[in-house]
Amino acid sequence: MNQEGVTRRRIRFVLILMGSAVAALVLQLVRVQFGPYAPVFAARAEYGASQVEKVVPARGRIYDRNGNLLASNATMFYLEIEVRQLTERSKKEIPLTLSKLLVLPLEDLYTQLTTDWAAVGQFRIRMTRKDANGNPWPVTVDKTVAEVLNGFLADPLAPDLSGLDLVAAPKRTYPAGTVAGHVLGFVNQEGQGFYGVEGYYDEWLSGKPITIHRPFIPLEARLQPDPPAGVNLVLTLDLAIQQMVETALREAIESSLAESGQVIVMDPRNGEILAMAAWPVLDPNRYEPWLPDANREDEGNPVITPGVAGTFEPGSTFKVLTMAAALELDRVEPETEFIDTGQIEVGGHTIRNWDGRSWGQQTMIGCLEHSLNVCLAWIASDRLGSTDLYSSLGQFGIGQLTGVDMAGEVSGEMRTPRDPDWTEPDLGTNSFGQGVSVTPMQLLTAVSAIANHGDMVQPHIVRQVVGPQGAYWPQPTVLGRPISRQTADTLTDMLAQSLEGETRYASVAGYRLAGKTGTAQIATEKGYDPKWTVASFIGWGPLPEPRFLVLVRIDKPATAPWGSVIAAPVFQEIAERLVVMMGIPPDPTGEQAAVGG
Amino acid sequence: MLIAIVFLLVSGVYLAVNARLARAGREVLTLEERRTELLRLTSELSAELASRTAPETMIARAANLGFHAAGPEDVLFITIDGYVPPSDFIAPRPPAPDDEGQAMLSPAYTETLGDWLMRWIGSPGGSS
Repeated sequence: MNQEGVTRRRIRFVLILMGSAVAALVLQLVRVQFGPYAPVFAARAEYGASQVEKVVPARGRIYDRNGNLLASNATMFYLEIEVRQLTERSKKEIPLTLSKLLVLPLEDLYTQLTTDWAAVGQFRIRMTRKDANGNPWPVTVDKTVAEVLNGFLADPLAPDLSGLDLVAAPKRTYPAGTVAGHVLGFVNQEGQGFYGVEGYYDEWLSGKPITIHRPFIPLEARLQPDPPAGVNLVLTLDLAIQQMVETALREAIESSLAESGQVIVMDPRNGEILAMAAWPVLDPNRYEPWLPDANREDEGNPVITPGVAGTFEPGSTFKVLTMAAALELDRVEPETEFIDTGQIEVGGHTIRNWDGRSWGQQTMIGCLEHSLNVCLAWIASDRLGSTDLYSSLGQFGIGQLTGVDMAGEVSGEMRTPRDPDWTEPDLGTNSFGQGVSVTPMQLLTAVSAIANHGDMVQPHIVRQVVGPQGAYWPQPTVLGRPISRQTADTLTDMLAQSLEGETRYASVAGYRLAGKTGTAQIATEKGYDPKWTVASFIGWGPLPEPRFLVLVRIDKPATAPWGSVIAAPVFQEIAERLVVMMGIPPDPTGEQAAVGG
Repeated sequence: MLIAIVFLLVSGVYLAVNARLARAGREVLTLEERRTELLRLTSELSAELASRTAPETMIARAANLGFHAAGPEDVLFITIDGYVPPSDFIAPRPPAPDDEGQAMLSPAYTETLGDWLMRWIGSPGGSS
């Protein structure tokens, strides 16, 4: 073979090699341009050299006062379909796979995939499922399921899931589950906080999203700025106390066959809420059943954070406020005598005691001990009068918002002589907590003035706000001084004495406590419900320097209607544990221990 | 011939610099993705840890070990002189937002020859 022939063969070989390479390139270009992934590449090309992206900062975390994590962030994945990438096979296998993995109705999924979305100009859809009311919700999966699906997508032997795309998104997570659920509120799939702390501090927690240009070309890559992050919050709650209180409430509800209930524990010295329990419990990880439903009547919708949003007629626990007003204005003294005849007429309306009996000669302590409606109506109508009574109740904040830092607070209702629908009998019934509605938080705040030597401190749930610049500690705010220190201490002493006579279920050996039971009828559109009551108890201790104030409310107990039987034991159980958990030693003097126990 | 060699040398340097820049850019993109992933993972692990030490779980574990909740009768209070109670918990600070200037690369890496010339001409002394 001559030299020329060899050269030609070599040139031909190189040409074939180069031609093959060019052919491969052209083939790849054709595949990119017209193949199954063409829409993806086309969409990518539309962005240009960079993609405009909204960067949402991580939502701030929420801790209890001891650093236990109450709310954090995780990742969930939306299931989206790139309609143009669906194949005939994947249209069948995606619904089958998702239906088995997520226990969703196959028909519904199949319908979503076979709808002609292109006809309405939609090329990317998010898979949805229907809730119990038929409302569509985006299907989301957690990390584990996402890994399984991604495994299927990568495996040619697995079901054909062409067109399925898992889109990561932040998700709020609550590690303690239902504990403190009503306090925390929840965050929806769009990252918006609702109710409780999440609702009230939504703007602070969520930070500020920013828009960036994220380049695809490495040469253009830059460090992207971080968006201003949301603040972290430390609550006044003590998770251990919260858990204990929730357990006590749940057991009380179960044993009394009641419908619902709430307990709030507050430090009366500074308004810090140590625990706030409600039944039925709310799991913020699964908040859907708690969303308001337009198809239901307002009364049919569950109340979220009932401690600040659920009103009730307080009944006899309200008597302490009437008595406080009378003591403050020197209209009665602890030893003032009253002859109870079993009934009194106020504004043409006859008021009777809870048991219909006449209790004869009583002091003011006896009036509280036996919870005499007639006595309190006499104080309101004969000793105070409407002007002084309602003025005092206004100073206690009745009918007004407390300003507690939780979303959804309502003010309750108290009619006064200035209201057109107020009638004179209201003066008598309001004195013992009938015809006036309050929230548990409102009642607790009012009574905190008595427990805290006259100073009424604003209740609050956030103890510390930590932003990038440092920590901020909100200071307690004194809402007012509705009564003097002397009146507050006198009334506390009266209630400590009366408590021992009223119920044996609210004492703790070694500690002196004060409190008052309440049994209230439930107002309905047709008058008062003849069967059901709200059993309640409000108590504080240890005296003389109370460190906790507890309100127990049990709705519609079936085993007994009385606050002394249903709610007082819950207070006792909680107080017994509180003194241990808060490290409060017993009173060293035998005298004080004897009064309490 | 000399011009061709100089041209080739400059082209080579230019290509080498660009290749390094591209590699660095790729690394930036990768590290950003990694950082996002690690932040997500940290958050998830914290939540999982909190969930495993949630009160309900701990109470159940304690009960299994034979413990019961202490009542006042189980507790003996003693006074210890000089005892300092633990300080209040302070939550970790969220990351401070970087302003755009800090987040970008230094001009030393991004300034072109033209930019440098314009800056040099525009500066009072005519020098950088």
